[in-house]
Amino acid sequence: MLEIADIVTSYGKIEALKGVSLSVAPGEITCLLGPNGAGKTTTMMTVAGLLKPRRGSITFEDRNITGRDPGHIVRSGIALVPENRLVFPDMSVHDNLRTGAYSRSDNEIEDDIDRMFERFPRLDERQLQHAGTLSGGEQQMLAVARALMARPKLLLMDEPSLGLAPMIVEEIFRIIRDLNAEGTSIFLVEQNVHQALKVAHHFYLLEQGRVTFGGSPGDLEEDEVIQRAYLGSAETT
Amino acid sequence: MGSGYALLAIGFTLIFGVLRRLNLSYGPSIMVGVFFGTFLFIQFQAGWYTVLVGTVLGAAIAGAYVERLCFWAIKKGAAVASMVSSFAVWMQLEEGVTIAFPDRTYEFPALGDFELIELAGLSVRQEHVIMLGIAAILVFALHQLLYRTRFGLAVRAVSEDPNAALFMGVNTGRVIFLAFILASAIGGIAGYFIMATEEVITPKFGLQATFKGLIAMMLGGMGSVPGAIAGGLLLGVVEKQAEWYAGAVWRDIAAFMLLFAFLIVRPGGLLAQHTAARDLAALRRV
Amino acid sequence: MDDHVITVLNNIGGFSFIALSAYLLLLSGEISFGQQAFFGIGAYASGMFTAMFGLSFWIALPLAMLVAGLAAAAVGALTLRLRGLYFAIATLAFAETIRLILVATTWQVDVDGEPVGPNGSEGLGNIRWGFDNEYAPVDFLWMIYGSLGIVLLLFFLMERSRLGSIVRTIGADRLLAETQGINVTRYKILVAGLAGALAAIGGAFYAHIQTTVYPENFDVMLGVHSLAYGLIGGLGTAVGPILGVLLDVGFLEAVEWIQGYRMIAFGGLVAVLLIFMPRGILDERRVHLLRLMLRGRRPDIHGAAGH
Ligand SMILES: Nc1ncnc2c1ncn2[C@@H]1O[C@H](COP(=O)(O)OP(=O)(O)O)[C@@H](O)[C@H]1O
Ligand SMILES: [Mg+2]
Repeated sequence: MLEIADIVTSYGKIEALKGVSLSVAPGEITCLLGPNGAGKTTTMMTVAGLLKPRRGSITFEDRNITGRDPGHIVRSGIALVPENRLVFPDMSVHDNLRTGAYSRSDNEIEDDIDRMFERFPRLDERQLQHAGTLSGGEQQMLAVARALMARPKLLLMDEPSLGLAPMIVEEIFRIIRDLNAEGTSIFLVEQNVHQALKVAHHFYLLEQGRVTFGGSPGDLEEDEVIQRAYLGSAETT
Repeated sequence: MGSGYALLAIGFTLIFGVLRRLNLSYGPSIMVGVFFGTFLFIQFQAGWYTVLVGTVLGAAIAGAYVERLCFWAIKKGAAVASMVSSFAVWMQLEEGVTIAFPDRTYEFPALGDFELIELAGLSVRQEHVIMLGIAAILVFALHQLLYRTRFGLAVRAVSEDPNAALFMGVNTGRVIFLAFILASAIGGIAGYFIMATEEVITPKFGLQATFKGLIAMMLGGMGSVPGAIAGGLLLGVVEKQAEWYAGAVWRDIAAFMLLFAFLIVRPGGLLAQHTAARDLAALRRV
Repeated sequence: MDDHVITVLNNIGGFSFIALSAYLLLLSGEISFGQQAFFGIGAYASGMFTAMFGLSFWIALPLAMLVAGLAAAAVGALTLRLRGLYFAIATLAFAETIRLILVATTWQVDVDGEPVGPNGSEGLGNIRWGFDNEYAPVDFLWMIYGSLGIVLLLFFLMERSRLGSIVRTIGADRLLAETQGINVTRYKILVAGLAGALAAIGGAFYAHIQTTVYPENFDVMLGVHSLAYGLIGGLGTAVGPILGVLLDVGFLEAVEWIQGYRMIAFGGLVAVLLIFMPRGILDERRVHLLRLMLRGRRPDIHGAAGH
């Protein structure tokens, strides 16, 4: 569904991605694991069109989307739940959801908002509250719901469990599984290796801007994945 | 007068809101519009609505020029550069107008012959009442635009967090450009009604419009539309009082002293809320 | 040298002081729109000392610097909490207040049968010290450039000293400076005061060359110009702001055919320059490269990345 082939993305002179290739299969949950600074967020941002790759190509459902602008990519069916949530703090929960549907022009937006409130009852109670007054967990739900408002076929999630209490993390992963069961493909960046490996169909390890492993959760001992996802592998440290 | 200031401040605050940068050329853009309006009047004896449309159009076009050159073209991180650049363009606009209109002082068509009217025991100029009405209508229309339309949603999203807006697929560059033009057009309307009351214009109007709009905006709190209205009205009242008790020079002194005192005592402005603290943090590097 | 050239050179020298004053504040991380206030205070104070009270310029100059420096330090202390735009606007509000108060103030004393002193928008005239002591414009030229040389020398010494690195640290990251145990409050007030005194030197020379000064000489145009000089010339070295003055006053004033379109030309130049070089011509990176070249080393592009 999503094919990333040999992309190089840099910030000025610093190359953050040094030729990354991976793919996300339709209907699956694919995880990208790796230590801090490996380039996971950069990968997400490049797919979402917020950073332009120097080299390489990104294909989504057999269409080339390399270097297209973010609006185009959202419309073609990819939505992002950004790192640190980035909800609009002084806008109501309801308006935050509307921004998620910005790229749409149909007239079912309000219906979809109602559906989001059914799925996330905690947001329903806080419809008119400013997003900045929500708890961290509620903000994360809002960020997910906001992304879903674009009706994505592929949902990109950048560390959705970051900084949340264990119970909320459980809930987030339950939502991820539910969404996937309903047919949304998911490309997930995580630091919580244990939970990630439980839900993933496939996973990749990214270290210092390069993919160093790709396979299924059973292919590698969890301890080794944890080791490499937090610290990087022996030869790179 | 206060409602004129409030309108000026609303345009200013809109630009500041979406860009988090200061457009010093805001007043001069309006000045270009006002001179274009007066040109239509002098050359073609245009009626009031043509002059109004001309003024708004002139201000909007000048605003578009400023946005492209000083804000769009300059890197995101360089807010100081943008501010200085908008000042540089201010000088261009002012000299451009001076060359095109060498007599410096020109007549501006009055709204009409109005008599003073009595209101609650005070005699008021009818122009000021009309201006207040126009300001109220514009504020209502702007509110509808910001809170009821897709474009308004995008403007609010960009002014809260341009990155997050980008994630939602908002074309932030275009939204900023359009908001900038909208703000200059609102400034143009303010300029028209202020000038139609004063009836003479000079290129110095650019400086005045920037200053009055800036003061009113900062008194109310940067980036806030209700704040701009409150700030504009407060400025109008204080200036009138100072002029009444101490004379014309003291009117401007009072305005600047008020601003200085406000910045020291209550930098977030009249309607300071939790957002002001966030703005302050965001502005650290500006 | 003909008179026109001397006048232009004197202007370049005079404006260099206020440009350096704005530059000093920029180094400490503050954008001031109000340095013209201290240029004006310097001009008025020195002019009043010599014209009204008969002091020598050489006594009036340090006194004027003291007055402006203290005023600037007071403004610095009042605006300590403000950052960025808020600071810029506060300084602007202060400068306009001072200018308008000068417009509103008349205070004259009798000197040799003539009323002398600030007279509202008529300004402060009869600053005859130069004339009385038979100083020609060219003598002022030496005085100005002598002072400018001393100031530049002090700047270079400062940039190499602990004070210089403290100021740049505060400018780059105030919190970092605080965690390093730097008393940010004290240094901010000190820098504000020094910058005020610096601007006053320019004002004092300006007053004694012009012999009459008006409040409108110190309007916001002067303030933003002085800020623009640093941004055009470059923020990497104290020579940057002076290069900016040279470009504006030297180049545009001197070239005949630009007259009448000067603001359009200068404005366009600044706007275009800022697009390509947001920190000016002599920014940190280019200054670093130049230094290396002067020392005859091959520039190491990667190590030279500035801001
Ligand atoms: N805006 C930026 N400017 C410069 N370098 C950056 C920027 N963002 C990230 N980097 C660098 O790119 C590399 C990858 O960062 P990132 O993609 O955020 O990693 P991750 O999400 O895996 O923690 C890091 O070395 C980081 O320092
Ligand atoms: Mg990351």
